[in-house]
Amino acid sequence: MWTIAKMTFQEILYKKIFLIALLMTLAYLLLYAIATHYAGSAYAEDMNRMQKAGKEFASMQQYVLGSQLLSTGLYFSNFITGLLAVLASAGSIAGSIENHQIDPVLTRPLSRSSMILGKFVGLGSIMTIYALSFFSLIILINKFLGGPFGLHLNFLSTIKAGVLFACISLTIIAPALCLSTSFSTLNSGIILIILYGMSFVGGFVEQLGNLINKTALINIGIISSLVFPADSLFRGMNYVLMSSNDDRFKLIDLANMGLFFGSTPPSNIMLFYCGFYTMVFLFLAVNTFKRRDI
Amino acid sequence: MSDLAICTNALSKQFNGQGGCQDISLQVQKGVIYGFIGPNGAGKSTFVRTLLGLLHPSGGSAEILGKPLGNLEARRKIGYLPELFRYPDWLTGIQLLHIHADLLGLKDSSLSTHISGLLDTVGLRGREKEKIGKYSKGMQQRIGLACALLGNPELIFLDEPTSALDPLGRLEVRNLLTTLRREGKTVFLNSHLLMEIETICDEIAIINQGKLIVQGDWRKLSRINNRYRLIASGLTAQMLEKCSLVLGYEQKDPSTKDPLNACEWILEIKAMEDIPSLLGIMHELGVRVYELTPVEPHLEEIFLYWINRKEPNNVDHC
Repeated sequence: MWTIAKMTFQEILYKKIFLIALLMTLAYLLLYAIATHYAGSAYAEDMNRMQKAGKEFASMQQYVLGSQLLSTGLYFSNFITGLLAVLASAGSIAGSIENHQIDPVLTRPLSRSSMILGKFVGLGSIMTIYALSFFSLIILINKFLGGPFGLHLNFLSTIKAGVLFACISLTIIAPALCLSTSFSTLNSGIILIILYGMSFVGGFVEQLGNLINKTALINIGIISSLVFPADSLFRGMNYVLMSSNDDRFKLIDLANMGLFFGSTPPSNIMLFYCGFYTMVFLFLAVNTFKRRDI
Repeated sequence: MSDLAICTNALSKQFNGQGGCQDISLQVQKGVIYGFIGPNGAGKSTFVRTLLGLLHPSGGSAEILGKPLGNLEARRKIGYLPELFRYPDWLTGIQLLHIHADLLGLKDSSLSTHISGLLDTVGLRGREKEKIGKYSKGMQQRIGLACALLGNPELIFLDEPTSALDPLGRLEVRNLLTTLRREGKTVFLNSHLLMEIETICDEIAIINQGKLIVQGDWRKLSRINNRYRLIASGLTAQMLEKCSLVLGYEQKDPSTKDPLNACEWILEIKAMEDIPSLLGIMHELGVRVYELTPVEPHLEEIFLYWINRKEPNNVDHC
């Protein structure tokens, strides 16, 4: 299993798609850093001007904008990470069956379940490293370049949020592997992207439902998060991240004004469901692959 | 311990009740080169892939090295070169061999020596640090062969092992197979290149339309007719027409006669036991016989004979 995990890890690193994603990530981070820096500087100038004029400055606005800026940055980071997880894993089994690279490997003393678990560990490791790096850089940009928008985040909450952020990829990789054992790379990719998109739309609908207090919309969001919990985990992560105590304002309440936020903390049931969801899909992937003719 | 490297009992693999291979029962002794031949689409690769556990059998049973199909212990002693050999193009040749060594659990200190030896054997020494993506098709087949030989397997499945090789490469592989046989290894050679089979195989099996037609010692299988090359003078077609022992004849290029005034004939006779009688008749007719030698059929002829002989319902064992 570990050999397959190591091989999968290396394979992703060597794939052009990963290099392109890495370059695009750097470009995005640069853009986000510049935007954060200039937004913070401009806002700081306004603050100074108003303070000199002896006017009370609306700190609440500062916190609202800060939390929304961070949430937006993390939202797009999550989107890129999720998309990369889809692209990396949709063809991980199907692709190697299609190009027959799997044949000599499967004739080795290696069970098919080890093959799937190895792929999961390899993909999961690289996506975890990528997600954690991405998450940390966004937080650091907000902290050090955000100026007045830099949020005073609680360290423990940030760590918890980082772990949740990394887990999002795992809830994508498991169903992706499952689909990859049954369908072609293209078909798996299409199904996953539709599910991923559906999860995002479901999340927006749920948040809108919360804002306007419409149960039907909230239920649509809940159902979509059960089908593909990536967005739900993201919103939970955002909630945990903003759960930092602040002297004057509760960040949670401020951040909750945006569309990228979850209105409730991630429940234990939801976290358990995400773990269960991942396990079930891994189990299905192993079983389907065991029965499959290569 | 069983002397059989492969033993199948009515092994079948069909796809939605069609194609593939059906009811194949064969036994492959250890230490032989076993040729598995058949026309395109006969089910050869399906059979091999079923034996290797890549396809799940739809019927029957099989044992590889005394273990049931899919047994991990048996797989440790198996090497396989697929027909459609494709290896990760981002790996170098040496990385590929190390990954497969990992999969086989080979970790001892002699691994580097073993891998170096394999690179020498397949003629890739000096090219092992290049990316497989940059290898020619022939080189990819060579690295695949090295991969199949990794860990000194007892049983090696080679599916069209020389399809991408030049004539020199083919000769090298043939020599390699002979060496493997000398070392007591069993080679299951799946090929449609009859010359390859004819040159090196001890036993063959012929498969057609998914069914086993015949299996056994190929020298016995080659006794499909009694054809002899005769060089004689004074022999005429009329004499042969009248001789009941001769089933058929053919005169080879009658215009070229040697100083003895002898001609070359190909005769088909009923049985080898009839030769003394036939020579007696010729002597009485005043025919001077200079040479009478059996004509060995080419594997192509043997192959076509068995393929066209009958519908594949009863398997012949020779």
